[in-house]
Amino acid sequence: MKCKDYDAVIVGGGHNGLVNAAYLARAGLDVLVLERRPVLGGAAVTEEIHPGFQYSVCSYVVSLLRPEIIQDLELARHGLEILPLESTFTPLPNDDYLVRWADHDQTRRELYRHSPRDAEAYDEFGKLMVQLAMAVKPILGMAPPDPGSMRPGNLAKMARLGRHFRGLGSEKLAALVKLMTMSSADYLDEWFETEALKATMAASGIIGTFLGPRSPGTAYVLLHHYIGEIDGAFRAWGFARGGTGAVSEAIASAARGLGTEIRTEASVERILSKDGRAVGVALESGEEIRARLVVSGLDPKRTFLGLLEPDELPPEFVDSIRRFRMRGSSGKVNLALAELPHFTALPGVGPHLRGAMSISPSVEYLERAYDDAKYGEFSRRPYMDIVIPSMIDPSMAPPGKHVMSIFVQYAPYALNGGWDDERREAFGDTVIDTLCRYAPNVRDAIIHRQVLTPADMEETFGLTEGNIFHGELSLHQLFFLRPAPAWANYRTPLANLYQCGSGTHPGGGVCGAPGRLAAQQILKEHRP
Amino acid sequence: MSERYDAVLVGAGHNGLVCAAYLARAGLSVLVLERREMVGGAAVTEELFPGFRFDSCAHRLGHLDRRVVRDLGLAGYGLQVRRPDLAVLAPLPGGDHLAIWRDPEVTAEEIRRHSPDDALRWPRFRAAMAPAVRFLGHVAAATPPELPPAASRDLLTFMQLGLRLRRMGRRELTEVLRVLPMSAAELLDEWFESEPLRGLLAAMGVTGLFMGPRAAGTAYLLLGGLSPEAEVLRPTELVAGGMGRLTEALAGAAVASGARIRTGVDVERIRTRDAKVTGVVLSDGEEVGAARVVSNVDPKRTFLGLVEPTELDPEFVRKVKNIRTRGAFAKVHLALAELPRFDGTAGRPELLEGLIRISPSLDYLERAYDDAKYGGVSRSPYLEVVIPSLTDPTLAPPGQHAMSVYVQYAPYELEEGSWNDHRRESLGDRVVGTLSAYAPGIDEAILDRHVLTPADLEDVYGLTGGCASHGEMALDQLFFMRPVPECAQYRTPVRDLYLCGAGTHPGGGVSGTAGYNAAREVLRAGKRAE
Repeated sequence: MKCKDYDAVIVGGGHNGLVNAAYLARAGLDVLVLERRPVLGGAAVTEEIHPGFQYSVCSYVVSLLRPEIIQDLELARHGLEILPLESTFTPLPNDDYLVRWADHDQTRRELYRHSPRDAEAYDEFGKLMVQLAMAVKPILGMAPPDPGSMRPGNLAKMARLGRHFRGLGSEKLAALVKLMTMSSADYLDEWFETEALKATMAASGIIGTFLGPRSPGTAYVLLHHYIGEIDGAFRAWGFARGGTGAVSEAIASAARGLGTEIRTEASVERILSKDGRAVGVALESGEEIRARLVVSGLDPKRTFLGLLEPDELPPEFVDSIRRFRMRGSSGKVNLALAELPHFTALPGVGPHLRGAMSISPSVEYLERAYDDAKYGEFSRRPYMDIVIPSMIDPSMAPPGKHVMSIFVQYAPYALNGGWDDERREAFGDTVIDTLCRYAPNVRDAIIHRQVLTPADMEETFGLTEGNIFHGELSLHQLFFLRPAPAWANYRTPLANLYQCGSGTHPGGGVCGAPGRLAAQQILKEHRP
Repeated sequence: MSERYDAVLVGAGHNGLVCAAYLARAGLSVLVLERREMVGGAAVTEELFPGFRFDSCAHRLGHLDRRVVRDLGLAGYGLQVRRPDLAVLAPLPGGDHLAIWRDPEVTAEEIRRHSPDDALRWPRFRAAMAPAVRFLGHVAAATPPELPPAASRDLLTFMQLGLRLRRMGRRELTEVLRVLPMSAAELLDEWFESEPLRGLLAAMGVTGLFMGPRAAGTAYLLLGGLSPEAEVLRPTELVAGGMGRLTEALAGAAVASGARIRTGVDVERIRTRDAKVTGVVLSDGEEVGAARVVSNVDPKRTFLGLVEPTELDPEFVRKVKNIRTRGAFAKVHLALAELPRFDGTAGRPELLEGLIRISPSLDYLERAYDDAKYGGVSRSPYLEVVIPSLTDPTLAPPGQHAMSVYVQYAPYELEEGSWNDHRRESLGDRVVGTLSAYAPGIDEAILDRHVLTPADLEDVYGLTGGCASHGEMALDQLFFMRPVPECAQYRTPVRDLYLCGAGTHPGGGVSGTAGYNAAREVLRAGKRAE
């Protein structure tokens, strides 16, 4: 390998690292992306784990990918095609069900069947949530200010933020405060009475957290689902043709087109520093690569505690990173199926199989699932969010066959006694048992099963403690506190080292915002 | 209409009395109306069994406002606050205990027995939390600003609090903002490893809340129990002669300033004309005219029970109905033939002079909450016990003792049905059973037992839902959100109707700060009117 100096080396070819690389390259920087695995995409990958079956192994839906990124990087031209997931189907133990459809009137009729009051409230609720989503959108699109800094630029940002909030008026501000601080259960109790509706909505507030629906701080995540824009439409979930990995591939293709060099199977062992500045990286192979800037897409613990020595960073910063909470709480089960599931509540192959299927019959069900995890066990009856990508994109599985992606919560990283093969399979069995209560034919239709525990996610995808968001999305780990006070602006105490992963504002999900905001910050300081 | 006052106070709880005293001192003609035969609301001392006097609801002070004590000269009316050397004793399963003393050195020694690392961190914990604790003190004393700040005064409040934050220095400032929305569990995870210490501290974060220690916002309540001074924990404060002495002293000060107090009168309605308060109507039909009415009753009772529904905007009513008042506690009062023998305290009665807190670990609390969140009484409840007769012989016959037990969690709404005599007694049995594990033989020393379920607390003290703080002290129900944004400045949408109870900022606990702040706002509005 020749000794070439790069303008920027990106550690980790996850979707945020790739977005970051593409933006830097677009501005004229000479960029290299280094990925440890043979596949690009980090947690957003599609892999053929069983011959003929394409699994979106970890991340499985697209809801938050920023439209400006799709536009700026011309991702459509690079093969990105997002197909809408059109419904959320919640089967119930009494063989009833609840479906929310893309079609508003259809959803309304369905809700009316359960509760006329809820059908009325649903519209009002949606209106308020859209308004609140609009209100927080600018915040998600900005690098957080530092309330502790007196720099003029920062004060101006604070003032702008203050004006923005004042402009919302008292009703919306109060609603926003409630949303930010309440539990999703309490918040939804103010609006609805149908258990399945509340639970299925609350479930979106707990995804990826180590909290239950009654834990304060879970309500605001409800909002994320109203921010997920696809083609400008609020609240639609999407699925990429070719699986989630296709998102990463499209971004990688865009980055390459802009001149980025990408190397896979290139595991970074250390970030090299000299006189308090990052100067490059050393690979596990011993190779050293020099660069003017280093950008890490890894989670904060890996970056600062794994790739640097503590004495290269200020002690209070190291303390902050050490106490940054990462407790992974979810697992993933991917299935290759010989046939589609038949839900006893809604038999047959219907449009409900083209959307999300949510095992979340009641708030209490979710809360009890959390109780198990609190004390170090996986849920005996877990919450599951299921999609069948092959329903929307038949190329994911052989003709007539299907792939099913099951997100499972709760599965604590710190399982009593630790994870091993036996516990992994027991966890997989629990998931199948739970699913078969609603769709009994699944058990015999399984051709192949892949079970990922939080420990597996740590090992495979480099997610510390298996946390899919690179750090819990709890109130004290958001915005200007993500990942550490005074270092939420994508910079780090080590000059020329930046961070661009989900551990930075605005956090996890396949949204690309951290990668883009980090690039903006970098380009402000390092114009080529 | 026979009489007319400048101000009528509905409810003679401690906040109502504080407010009345300040208004009377400012020269207003003031009438306080109390439904019960005694003043004091939830801060009363009652002889439940002959010779045994109990603090039947609140049994300790919660950061009593020093301005009130000083301004009203409460010492002159008989108030004597006791701060025992021992703040909290936490008995542990197996006979050991953890004792938190006012002396930080002694406490550190005691903690060292459980964890040397925690003992080292104890003073550092205080130092790290002190800026936040001080800041919260300033916040409590201020009237919350309107959202968004409308008047220049609101901006000023914001700026003053902002300046206080600024003056802290960058690290302290971000630390305050970081800690406030945390859960007690998260905060304690960062600091301490020994379960007895974590359990004892976490209990401070959930007291009065229908939440467990893993709920965001419980760190905020935990901070409320800390002192920025060397002693780390706020000293336990008891009132000599019982809590009733405090409210009697407040009543004395109010009357001396010219306020009139009537007990045994039930206010049925707050009268309004042209969207403005004109007075109150009593249950016997008597009408009392008033230029303004200040309600010490909780916000739900005030707006849903006392104000004409037609006076209120339906949207406002919806918000009031949404105030969460899920009672989480019960009280048990025991007349004891002898001092209970808590394991390891034989011959050391001074260990029992402060609070005795049964909360041996964080998970103990969490499990206690688990039972309650599905509508059951905790199988192993968190208990906070005081035995005031130990240092105050007037409270029990010689050699015998009056023990007050605060019990959490006992939900107001039970899964299995409503509270009744049978469930009340089984709650009592469960509490005695729990105590027996730490103080063997206590069941045999019980002469009499009195149990107040959350439903009883609602009936007797008028606490909606049995919620002592008139609205849960959860993050979304604090400061400018308390009790609802429209009333956070103690004013209400009904002209000349004010609130002064625990349902307003800064909330529950026997502090008197809400009453003080409310009086300030009433008088300010009066000045503007002139």
